[in-house]
Amino acid sequence: MDANLLVIVVLLPILAGVLIPLLPFRSRNQMLVFIETAVLLNSVLVFVLLISQPQESFILFRFTGDLTLSFHLDGLGTVFAGIVSVLWPLATLYAFEYMKHENHEKFFFMFYTVTYGVTLGIALAEDIMTMYCFYEMLSMVTLPLILHTLSREAVLASRTYLYYSLGGAAFAFIGMIFILTYGTTSNFMPGGVMDMAKIGDRTNMLLFVYLLCFCGFSVKAAMFPFSSWLPQAGVAPTPVTALLHAVAVVKAGAFTTMRVTYYSFGADFLRGTWAQTILMVLVIFTIVYGCSRALKETHIKRRLAWSTVSNLSYILFGVVLMTPLGLTGALCHMVFHAVMKISSFFCAGAVIYKTGREYIHQLNGFGRKMPKVFIVFTISGLALMGVPGLCGFISKWQLAKAAVETHSLLAYIGVAALLASALLTAIYMLTIVVRAFFPGRSFDYGTISDVEDPNWMMILPLVLFVVAMFVFGLHPGPVVHALEAVAAGVM
Amino acid sequence: MAFVQNFPFFSIILSLFSGPLSSILGGKAAKRLNIAVISMIGIMSCAVLSFTISSGESYVYMMGHFPAPWGNEIRVGVLEASMAVFFCVIMLLCMLGGERERLAEIEPEKQNLYYIMVNLLLSSLLALIYTNDLFTAYVFVEINTISACGLIMIKQNGRNIEAATRYMIMSLLGSGLLLLGICFLYDLTGHLLMSNIKEQVQLLNESGDYHIPLLVSLSLMSVGLAIKSALYPFHAWLPDAYGYSTLSSAAILSSLVSKGYIFLLVKIFYRVVGFDIVRDSKVINVLFVFGVAGMIMGSVSAIKENNIRRMIAYSSVAQIGYIYMGFGLGTTAGVIASIYHIVSHAATKSLLFVAASGITEASGDSTDFFDLTGAGYRNKLAGVAFTVGSLSMVGFPMFAGFISKILFAQAAVESLHKVLPTLIALALSTILNAVYFMKTVIRIYTPEKKSVAAQKGHTMIRIMDNPVKSAALVCFILLNLILGLCSEPIVRLFQNGLNMFT
Amino acid sequence: MSSWILLPVFLPMAAGICLLASSFRAHLGGSGDATGDRSRLHSFTAAVLVISAVLALGAAWSGEKSVTLFYLMENIPVYFKIDALGRLFVTFVSIVWVAAGVYSFVYMQHEGEEKRFFGFYLVVYGVLVGLVFSGNLVTMYLFYELMTLTSVPLVLHNGSRESIMAALKYLFYSMCGAYLGLFGIFFLYQYCDTITFTAGGSLNMELARGNQGILLIAVFAMLIGFGAKAGMFPLHAWLPAAHPVAPSPASAVLSGVIVKGGVLAIVRVVYYMVGADFLRGTWVQTVWMMLSLLTVFMGSLLAFREPVFKKRLAYSTVSQISYVLFGLSVLTPTGMTGALMHTVFHSFIKSALFLTAGIFIFECGKTRVEELSGIGKRMPKTLWCYTFVSLALIGIPPTSGFVSKWYLAQGALESDTGVFGWLGPVVLLVSALLTAGYLLPVTMKGFFPGSNVKVTEEKEEQDAAKVREPALLMLVPLAVLAALAVLLGVFPNPLADYLRDLAAALM
Repeated sequence: MDANLLVIVVLLPILAGVLIPLLPFRSRNQMLVFIETAVLLNSVLVFVLLISQPQESFILFRFTGDLTLSFHLDGLGTVFAGIVSVLWPLATLYAFEYMKHENHEKFFFMFYTVTYGVTLGIALAEDIMTMYCFYEMLSMVTLPLILHTLSREAVLASRTYLYYSLGGAAFAFIGMIFILTYGTTSNFMPGGVMDMAKIGDRTNMLLFVYLLCFCGFSVKAAMFPFSSWLPQAGVAPTPVTALLHAVAVVKAGAFTTMRVTYYSFGADFLRGTWAQTILMVLVIFTIVYGCSRALKETHIKRRLAWSTVSNLSYILFGVVLMTPLGLTGALCHMVFHAVMKISSFFCAGAVIYKTGREYIHQLNGFGRKMPKVFIVFTISGLALMGVPGLCGFISKWQLAKAAVETHSLLAYIGVAALLASALLTAIYMLTIVVRAFFPGRSFDYGTISDVEDPNWMMILPLVLFVVAMFVFGLHPGPVVHALEAVAAGVM
Repeated sequence: MAFVQNFPFFSIILSLFSGPLSSILGGKAAKRLNIAVISMIGIMSCAVLSFTISSGESYVYMMGHFPAPWGNEIRVGVLEASMAVFFCVIMLLCMLGGERERLAEIEPEKQNLYYIMVNLLLSSLLALIYTNDLFTAYVFVEINTISACGLIMIKQNGRNIEAATRYMIMSLLGSGLLLLGICFLYDLTGHLLMSNIKEQVQLLNESGDYHIPLLVSLSLMSVGLAIKSALYPFHAWLPDAYGYSTLSSAAILSSLVSKGYIFLLVKIFYRVVGFDIVRDSKVINVLFVFGVAGMIMGSVSAIKENNIRRMIAYSSVAQIGYIYMGFGLGTTAGVIASIYHIVSHAATKSLLFVAASGITEASGDSTDFFDLTGAGYRNKLAGVAFTVGSLSMVGFPMFAGFISKILFAQAAVESLHKVLPTLIALALSTILNAVYFMKTVIRIYTPEKKSVAAQKGHTMIRIMDNPVKSAALVCFILLNLILGLCSEPIVRLFQNGLNMFT
Repeated sequence: MSSWILLPVFLPMAAGICLLASSFRAHLGGSGDATGDRSRLHSFTAAVLVISAVLALGAAWSGEKSVTLFYLMENIPVYFKIDALGRLFVTFVSIVWVAAGVYSFVYMQHEGEEKRFFGFYLVVYGVLVGLVFSGNLVTMYLFYELMTLTSVPLVLHNGSRESIMAALKYLFYSMCGAYLGLFGIFFLYQYCDTITFTAGGSLNMELARGNQGILLIAVFAMLIGFGAKAGMFPLHAWLPAAHPVAPSPASAVLSGVIVKGGVLAIVRVVYYMVGADFLRGTWVQTVWMMLSLLTVFMGSLLAFREPVFKKRLAYSTVSQISYVLFGLSVLTPTGMTGALMHTVFHSFIKSALFLTAGIFIFECGKTRVEELSGIGKRMPKTLWCYTFVSLALIGIPPTSGFVSKWYLAQGALESDTGVFGWLGPVVLLVSALLTAGYLLPVTMKGFFPGSNVKVTEEKEEQDAAKVREPALLMLVPLAVLAALAVLLGVFPNPLADYLRDLAAALM
């Protein structure tokens, strides 16, 4: 039963999503109830799965030979599946309210729900083939979500997104083929599966392939120079930007890089090689680059998107440190950044939904009119900066600790980059906060008299996220321990 | 001798004679005859296939029981039979899918002419697949060329005549080179029957005599067939020929005709010269380079193209490049991958042509890229089919293209020096494919403003408006999924078949 | 159970948050000014302030205590400990804070938004006590960041464009400093046995061997970083921007107390984490001394040229805090004694000076130095207070400044830092002269405007001639601080002994 659950949680949302446009709903509410029930049910099933931790795997389908579509739950998958399944019902709830002012909801929710299943597919994939398939599928099912408004901008954004994703997948594909050929098995194994005897003296080629593969997968994680799709994709409705472009899709990118690094190629094989150096340089550059671009951006969602670019590279930085501690830091940031960024996006979305204003200079004085939203925004901004007491500090601490421990100059520079980016984060987040709360003495509140807080469907997720940020920030012990255990199992 | 063993011969003869028979029939009757013939041959080929699978070996069929070297032989193995089945299926679907266009674009009195050509084409393809005799192969290559030319010309306007002329010239150049190669080989070995030639070539190779003439002959044949199958840079005839001819012609030409030549090349490699000798000669390296260049340049040309039909045509150049790249790897795995790609590309490309016609039909018969905006909503099935075809081209998992991509990549990893160029070319070409195919997909799903839609003569097309075509599209989609999801038995089939070659 | 020592941390924070919430609610209600009943606000604030100050002093002077609040991470508790240094800091912080608080009851009436101001004022007090009581590096960092964040609203209080820009400047400089500090913390965590403050440092020499280079860089980053708050070159530029735009009591505490947060952090890092021995003779010490001397000189010079009174005082702070930093940088017990002494004195003196400036603004609206001539006729008591504290800052015996500078110079001469041994005292002396040059003219012109003062308006002339001292609530805090500044110079021994013991324990 437990092993069947593995495939049920992947297929249930896909099925439910496909049913949405087919079922004859009598009213909008009926449809919403159906969607939320399906999503919640699936999340509950995921929790059951995560608690029972089945050891066996489930083979859904065979392509050729040992290329299978199979699922298995392990530590890393638990983390990712956990994040996704907690956030999805909340984001769906938020989307119900938000999507009121957008068209063709049915198709939106169809793809939105299908994406849930596909993301879980990535989390639960047992081998590289399965992961690759779901990775490609993720690009496809999220494409219509970006395209949603069908404006010219959206078309351009979705095109860019698609080119980047498919291009990334094409390079990841090369890595997959090498893993299939030079690995002892295509399944993910802690410590890697590379057959050193088979490789012989072709180490450099393998490293090159690893580089290609990492870059390919990290396109979704928006690593420089593959980052420009993410801010462009901000034209999508906010639930999409918040959940997919701050959590599901981009974290899937980070997750896949973890898989290939630690479970396929093996960190021991890669540590100290030139491939690691190149990736470190790229990642460190992205950390600073993303923040600087965020600073220049005046569109609120695009600013947050650039911030995501930078933060994702925090995760990748942890990954390329190639130590258990680094992976712990990466996982920490994966979890915590999900909460922080989704809440700041939801705040931005609430502003757009209620007032239609999208540019930062239009937000003067909003703090007084939308107090709940902007208090949450402030807290998430502080968390992103890494103020102690909030969760951002914890993950930054873990990453820096791991970096310092490696005794390499590049890692030290990485720490400096983390902090430089924290400073830039302070600048780009707090300027918004100050603007909203202190618009200046001569500001006339009459000009924004129509602005008000949204209703409970939008506020409830925000409140939960704030609580989570504080809990993770003040009492991170259990989470960090769990993640440490996962990371320790990898080496 | 089992009765089934006669079927290959019967099917060649059947299609050959149904051609002249069509000339005395009216258009409709000719069409029915044609469909019936194709289906019958398909069924017979199935029987042959199952027979060869169960017998586990190939057999030689002597026509009129004359022994070689006087008689004419055909040789049937698993690979040949499965190709025949497959070609029949694709051809049937292409004919069904292009029915409306044929009625609209071809003058009524010439309708039956079209079916004559198709029947002749089928017979020549079957002959190319089955024959064990190089000269017979040459004869049918010519028949093939002429009938293909007819298929292009049948839609009579200036462009088509120009395209057909071009096709004719290039094709004849190719056949000429092939003929030269065959002559050389005949001169060297004194045989025309494949198996006999091979014995002699092995002997020559061991003794080391006539090394250069052998090489020249091999290169002449390779280049000749490469020109005929539009390998880059010999592809100049292709976009016009595929882009402007009537739908079923374009689909058949792109998916079958060029593939027939390629299959002949495989036979020459394995059954005439011997793959070891081919590998040791540098000819395959040249093919490899041209193949890789084609993969990239074909896609680049396709990106620049604004006419959807020509875009798909250029994409064929890239796909042919894949196939030659597979040969160029010089391993059996590479050849298997190429053969699989012959199949998957044929299935996908004809799907794309048919789907594209559905899309253009809904856009006032304009093939211009910018007129296609929102066509996916106007003709839903064609939109879906085009998306499936595009995804398959891009190598999206679950579709046919993905499997051939995997096979190519796996084959590449086995070869020592060509691995990185191959893999990077694959990746780049995937990206380029994504650029033009997905651009189109997004375009057809971007809704057009209502005012513009009315002005451009857009029409809604429902599934039942053209049931035959819809059915063909559905079958194409299913075929693609089968190739993508159940590839394992098919690949094993090809492996067995290739083993029977040697 | 000694967890009650956390009361002075959390009580003012809680009270402040209540005030803020009620201010926010009033705004949401739509009423324009959210001050409400002023006397109730004042008595509430005063009560909270006094109770917390008493609690804080009580906690500080009733012996060594430590509390672990909870564990932030494994090995990283939020940990409070009261030690000699904390005792010193909490004492002067509380005195200045209460004095400036009392002063602002009157002063803030013309700034508006009093509830918000007092809300943040209380919160910052709690945070400062927390900072002072912090027993380990991470706890300190936590309160350090909070101090920055909560003091920003004090700076931008009046909401004008330049004050918002100045506040952002303050914020980003402080953040930049804090992150440089954090950079060092990451390394110290790795290379120290414990992150709990230990007198003499807890650097693990085994681990550090071979990694000195990066450790020195880390420490240097922390010096620069925490030095930002203390207005040390190169991150000093926020100070002259932020002080003039803030309300005067806010600038008083900013300059008198909050910049001392940076000093505290540097002392903690250098003497309680890394250990003075590790730094002695390294390039870090040299650069540190150079930077602090440079800042001393540059600050004075800029103050000398500055016509805006509060800005002049701000530059003066830049210069004076670097006296402290120089004293710390020579790494001798005497130098450290002098430095800590100067910290205390400067805190009283500079707050008093800013309060004076506030009185001038509040009563006559005068912000520039040249407008102040003849002011002594009108407010003699105020100007006398000003004169005394000026003398103390310059270091005229027997005022307090003299004592601390004596120690500083002696510490520098004692140390074997080569050229800095004598260059330091020289720069201090020159800077003292400059200090006299920028502070005393106000007194002289104030009392003796001279005959060449242009009498522009009859009325103003009459106004100026009339003796009209400010309200008692403003004058008394000023007088108290001035008295402290002078008296501590007359009777320096208890403090000096206390500090000498403290310094001796560290080296």
